[in-house]
Amino acid sequence: MATHRPADLRQLTVNADARAMIQRSRDEGIETVWDRLAAQEPQCGYCSLGTSCRNCSMGPCRIDPFGDGPQKGVCGAGADLIVARNLGRTIAAGSSAHSDHGRDVLEVFALTAEGKTTGYEIRDAGKLAALAAELGVGTAGRTTEEIARGVADVLMEDFGSRRQQLSFTARVPAKRMEVWRKLGIVPRGIDRENVEMLHRTHMGVDSDYVNLLLHALRTGLADGWGGSMIATELSDVMFGTPHPTMSQVNLGVLKAECVNIALHGHNPLLSDVIVKAAADPELVALAKAKGAKGINLVGLCCTGNELQMRKGIPMAGNHLMQELVMVTGALDAMVVDYQCIMPSIVDVAKCFHTVIISTSDKAKLPGATHVSFDPHRGLEIGKEIVRKGIDAYGNRNPSRVRIPVQPVSMMAGFSVEAIVGALGGTPAPLVDAIKSGAIRGAVGVVGCNNPKLPQDLGHIQLTQRLIENDILVVVTGCAAVANGKAGHMVPEGARLAGKGLRAVCESLGIPPVLHMGSCVDNTRILTLAAALANFLGVDIPALPLAGAAPEWYSEKAVAIGAYVVASGIYTVLGVAPAIFGSKNVTSLLADGLDGVVGARFSIEPDPEKAAILIRRHIEGKRKALGLPFVEPATIELPVTTQAAE
Amino acid sequence: MQSVFVHMDRCIGCRQCEFACAVEHSASRDPVKAVYEQPLPHARIRVEAGLFQNTSFPNRCRHCDPAPCQLACPTGAVLRDAELGLVQMRTSKCISCAMCAMVCPFDAVTFHPAANGRVVATKCDGCVDRLRRDEPPACVEACKAGALVYGELNELIRSGSPPMPVGVTAWHGWGQVATRVAKGATNGNASSR
Repeated sequence: MATHRPADLRQLTVNADARAMIQRSRDEGIETVWDRLAAQEPQCGYCSLGTSCRNCSMGPCRIDPFGDGPQKGVCGAGADLIVARNLGRTIAAGSSAHSDHGRDVLEVFALTAEGKTTGYEIRDAGKLAALAAELGVGTAGRTTEEIARGVADVLMEDFGSRRQQLSFTARVPAKRMEVWRKLGIVPRGIDRENVEMLHRTHMGVDSDYVNLLLHALRTGLADGWGGSMIATELSDVMFGTPHPTMSQVNLGVLKAECVNIALHGHNPLLSDVIVKAAADPELVALAKAKGAKGINLVGLCCTGNELQMRKGIPMAGNHLMQELVMVTGALDAMVVDYQCIMPSIVDVAKCFHTVIISTSDKAKLPGATHVSFDPHRGLEIGKEIVRKGIDAYGNRNPSRVRIPVQPVSMMAGFSVEAIVGALGGTPAPLVDAIKSGAIRGAVGVVGCNNPKLPQDLGHIQLTQRLIENDILVVVTGCAAVANGKAGHMVPEGARLAGKGLRAVCESLGIPPVLHMGSCVDNTRILTLAAALANFLGVDIPALPLAGAAPEWYSEKAVAIGAYVVASGIYTVLGVAPAIFGSKNVTSLLADGLDGVVGARFSIEPDPEKAAILIRRHIEGKRKALGLPFVEPATIELPVTTQAAE
Repeated sequence: MQSVFVHMDRCIGCRQCEFACAVEHSASRDPVKAVYEQPLPHARIRVEAGLFQNTSFPNRCRHCDPAPCQLACPTGAVLRDAELGLVQMRTSKCISCAMCAMVCPFDAVTFHPAANGRVVATKCDGCVDRLRRDEPPACVEACKAGALVYGELNELIRSGSPPMPVGVTAWHGWGQVATRVAKGATNGNASSR
């Protein structure tokens, strides 16, 4: 079994900044995620295969995958049902996380429309008008606020039980809707599908694993075309629709001479007002009075992506950097909202002067300072938080500061609107490039970091292989940070691409890898895919598209996988989900699903092999469309050194 | 002699040792791939239910010296590793007569298909491969409760049972109460094990 405390830190991460900080944490005895993984190994085999169940108190039960022990739980559930129930609950949890984020944005949007918030405004009235038209909200003779109230009312209803289908499913190609209707998986209500999943997985409800998995897809769709999409669209309206903007990335964005405040988590609600507060002349003067040159805001994880996309705020790092950013000794405050916040950050903070400030009443951390977020007094709270960061700067020990690298440039801000804008207002030039074969297809490389894999290796290597082969890559979440650090995301990065893609990128002045935002912003990819399909009059599975989550770890990622595949996009996962204890569930997801929704999952941890699987898939789709293609079977898998294969 | 020592009071019945043992004796040694192998790998350690509710015992070969299985085997398929003193099964010589299983005082021998398709006697090999790499046996590595420990046998016995962690004490106490309830005892202590 692999150990995760190797002497060679290259086995843990491809990044020089991360390696320097892991070495320092080892030297100083500071525990990090890799130490905790090593202590957990070997991890529970039943849980890894998905064959353990603790849904009721006749159990807990587990199925012996080697056939010697029990093959049924106390209730009679076999491996197929237990695996399907666990997967369903995982998707419901991920979908709930995204959707509750969407609800929070919607609630502040509604309050803002009523004029009850401070620090918020409708920044993109054009997008609001477009949404109103899409949702059937009248705009004639109404003020922006009145339109916003109308939009808020429509979207509030999407969370409940009144709808037969979610509002944004109007974007879905007709053929796709027909597939969902036949299967009975049209998402109806965002909360409803999640609650129904919890109901169905209660002991003695749905005992048919196929029926259960179909609802799991619907639960995912309620996230992708519901909760997450609402989060993306309304964030654009309130904080501005992203446009290409230059920024920087890696631990080098910390400045030794400034008050450094990191904004970590997922929801842009609070971080947006903190950006405003940090520009407040009084607070800047206070920072200078304490001896700093200014206030330096940096991003972490998806809150960082939201800020980088819209305001060019530099990005300190992705999921596995959240502990290491403090090990620099240069971070004065870490402001967290929710999701992917490791409980351990308060322990690492104790080794330095850093203060952790929790802000969501849903996400408190023992050992952190809690400042309860209230949109009614958004700006005041933002200022209070920045002041705490400035106070902490006074406790910094300059002799402990080690900022290991210089920052790398990257371009962010490719919303669907920005991409279509760059193409001259219509997707036609992109479609033409795909038709001619200059661009073979497009792939979304998304998802998290996972300490079980070398950090960022999968994201970077897979992306590199794809762009070399003229496949346009769009990225979100941790994958965006990884590719930014690798230098893929500047217009000069076009040099790394194949001839066809390079020419297209150079003519448009864009990188070959486009930053589409945070993890809720995967819905931008759905919107773009649907728009391309509608433009061509085909269903989404006909398009030469694919998705990849090379280093995923979270329940949210499983929900994303479910809605991407159910929307008709083939997806390659780099980490095995907990389904292998059931051969039936595994073969359904990896094979049978293709005949049901027109897409399936593959699992391949080796990024070189994953790139080949994706290239074969894309060329296969080109062949079916009658476009110039390379025979998929002639694209050979790399030879492995492992004889065990 | 170094050996695996079992602290019975620490076993929480999680069966992680079984899983790790099966994976260690698979062709791929990968927990996901192992369940797809033919023949399926099998655990050589078995967590058996204890006499009372929520008690359990990880049963495995004690590598007896002299070993009844070795004495009983008519084909010389059972032998002792000279370096580590562990009793080994030589699959190629096994004729599946089950003499070893009949004489084993601990029920530690089972019968499963080997890679060549023949059903043969299967038992704990003490993880000789791992020991030669200076790694503890797979079951010991997997045991997070400290019920299975590896070390110099006499030292482990001399040191006695290590202090019990809070969680396990609570479990044990709960088990005793549950036993009393199960027996319908209204006074006095549950009979000792």
